[in-house]
Amino acid sequence: MAVLEQTPPAVAQPAPAQPKSGFRKYWHLYAAISPFYLIFLGFGLFPVGFSLYLSFHRWDGLGSMEWAGLSQYQYLLSDSDFWNSIGNTVVIWALATFPMIFLAMVTAVMLNSAVRFKGLYRVAYFLPNVTSVVAIAIVFGSIFSTNAGMVNAVLNAVGIDQVAWLNTPWGIKVTIAALMTWQWTGYNAIIFLAGLQTIPSDLYEAARMDGAGPIQTFFRITLPLLRPTLLFVLVVSTVTGLQSFSEPQVLLQTSSNDSTFAGGPGHSGQTMVLYFFQQTFDNNDFGYGAAVAWGIFLVVVLFSVINWRLVQRRGE
Amino acid sequence: MRLSRRGLLRAGLAGTAATALGGLASGCAVPTGSTGRNMVLWYWSGGLSDTVVKNAKARYDSSVDLQAIQIGGQYRSKLITTITGRAHIPDIAGLKGEDMAAYLPNADQFIDLRTLGAEKYKSQYLSWKWDQGIADDGTMVGFPIDCGPVAHYYQYEVFRKAGLPYEPDDVSNELNTWEKFFDAGVQLGKRVPQAKLLTDVNSVFGNVVEQGAKRYVDKDRHFIGDQEHVRRAWALAVEAKRRGIVSDLVSGTPDQLSAIQDGKLPSQLNASWASFDIKNGVPKTKGRWRVAQMPVRPANSGGSFLSITKACREPERAFEVITWILNAANQAQGYVDAGLFPSTPASYDLKQMREPDDFFGGQVTTDIFGPAAQKIAVAYNSPYDVALGQPIKDEIKNVGVLGKDPKKAWSDAMSKCRRIAKHLGVSY
Repeated sequence: MAVLEQTPPAVAQPAPAQPKSGFRKYWHLYAAISPFYLIFLGFGLFPVGFSLYLSFHRWDGLGSMEWAGLSQYQYLLSDSDFWNSIGNTVVIWALATFPMIFLAMVTAVMLNSAVRFKGLYRVAYFLPNVTSVVAIAIVFGSIFSTNAGMVNAVLNAVGIDQVAWLNTPWGIKVTIAALMTWQWTGYNAIIFLAGLQTIPSDLYEAARMDGAGPIQTFFRITLPLLRPTLLFVLVVSTVTGLQSFSEPQVLLQTSSNDSTFAGGPGHSGQTMVLYFFQQTFDNNDFGYGAAVAWGIFLVVVLFSVINWRLVQRRGE
Repeated sequence: MRLSRRGLLRAGLAGTAATALGGLASGCAVPTGSTGRNMVLWYWSGGLSDTVVKNAKARYDSSVDLQAIQIGGQYRSKLITTITGRAHIPDIAGLKGEDMAAYLPNADQFIDLRTLGAEKYKSQYLSWKWDQGIADDGTMVGFPIDCGPVAHYYQYEVFRKAGLPYEPDDVSNELNTWEKFFDAGVQLGKRVPQAKLLTDVNSVFGNVVEQGAKRYVDKDRHFIGDQEHVRRAWALAVEAKRRGIVSDLVSGTPDQLSAIQDGKLPSQLNASWASFDIKNGVPKTKGRWRVAQMPVRPANSGGSFLSITKACREPERAFEVITWILNAANQAQGYVDAGLFPSTPASYDLKQMREPDDFFGGQVTTDIFGPAAQKIAVAYNSPYDVALGQPIKDEIKNVGVLGKDPKKAWSDAMSKCRRIAKHLGVSY
């Protein structure tokens, strides 16, 4: 999906009246755009095709490949760890996305009405998104640590027992979700802000004339007109959320003796992509790893279809 | 529109052809190994002593251009990618100990070092380490770099305050069984409030398994993780949990480091290279530490190898370079520079390794690690060990951290192993 988004706009010039010499006339234009397609062919399409081929084999990455038929997929269906990782991914995605959308919306409305330092705020809110996930995860690891962490210090101050965030199944999920929320709120607030600014101000004026209060205005005007933006944000969050990897990997890696892809106690933070890495690179099971990757692909397709249905319904 | 589509198709075809041709052309041009004077050595940061590598470059300058490249990130993935891709394969490649199980079944990608006269060096190296570099078919793939003898790090003052033995010799002699070690943990908890002997149950489980000569899968591709040696390690780990001598902290987190610094976690069973982690992680504990032998017997953790790939044009020369880089004197230098504990016992008596370490209160730590390194027994390193050991390690962690019922955890681990064994073609 990420690759598709990067596709440069195709040559959009309408073809003029000499039909026969199309390619000869425009070959230099095609040549100009060809690097992307050639690179895509070599580094995008070929690996995708090869991974499909690989998923029907057993391979340790070095030796010879062995035909395995559908057995990798059969095993995938019965692999409780894989299903567990799907569940984890979806739960973490939901825990991250809904608070994030709410916070981003609030931030955007506030940014939209702020008078001073608008540019500064926008930059400040965008910053988390361009910060290295690894660095953020290390900081979050300290913030959510059990005894020395800031979050537990705050909980203690208001008289709540401390939580072993990185050592309990739900704590792990909440911590990963909090990290993702923090990272994406600003980015999406900027998107919402762009959406807000496309709403014509005369609509608000008319509403005010008719005596609508701020809350009514928000729910009757802002929200409905922001819906396309909301859907865009939802789609992007789904794509990134289903591919979460670095966040749990860095947050939950412990000593060097332990697998860095295990996802903490009870695999509670093992997302789909983390599971894929564990199978492929810890176990050297490249064939099964490829099958897991295609399993992930199907889950992403499923979610994309759901998103697509949402968009379609809006169009009717 | 129709035209541009057709054009696009043509461009696509032309592009495909161009790529294919280009690929073919470059396929011929890309050297599979290096040519002429170039000799490429791949290793990772801290994998060899930089001083020794520099000296080797100067020493062999008249015959080869030794290009030592530090490869960052996922080392094994990058190495197997170049080997599988048959392009730009290094002549000499470092192999990490934990990856050996993946390389050994593919010994045909490397040059058998015995054909270059490796046997005559054998007596200078630790025999168990030497054997670890040899594949099932007898091919010698790896030449020993370092090893990682595991010992007992502890804080002198805390042990003294808890009424435990506190001089290294006494600790080695008196805490020499797991039972006595656990008793010490209980006493520590009573005398020093909130103090725990170990971070987690996995350090008991992992070390007990590594002490033995068997792990999870044997040479005949049979699952042995349900046998007595693993059950015993499991039972000891469960007992450590039951007796309350393990903390609920996660190794490597700020919580653990602050507990170590406060003397609440005054002990750890760790490899020789962990002294660098302790020095970096809790620098304020300088002078408080000592090292003693681990209960029962030492184990090994980590340690790597140098190999010569099939792509190497001048194996004899490469072998000469390797044996020089890894001779006893240079291994001692590797210990000073990068904490690589030598696989050559002759290094242990050299001056560089006899320096008292202020971080360990002036103790000469080689006195512990040296004898430990010579008493190690190692298990068969199966390519399926990682996949079939992980469920058991996961479940013992669930017992330790989440308080899962040990019986249930064991049966869950076994049913998972059965499933994975079947998938990997390992008999159960």
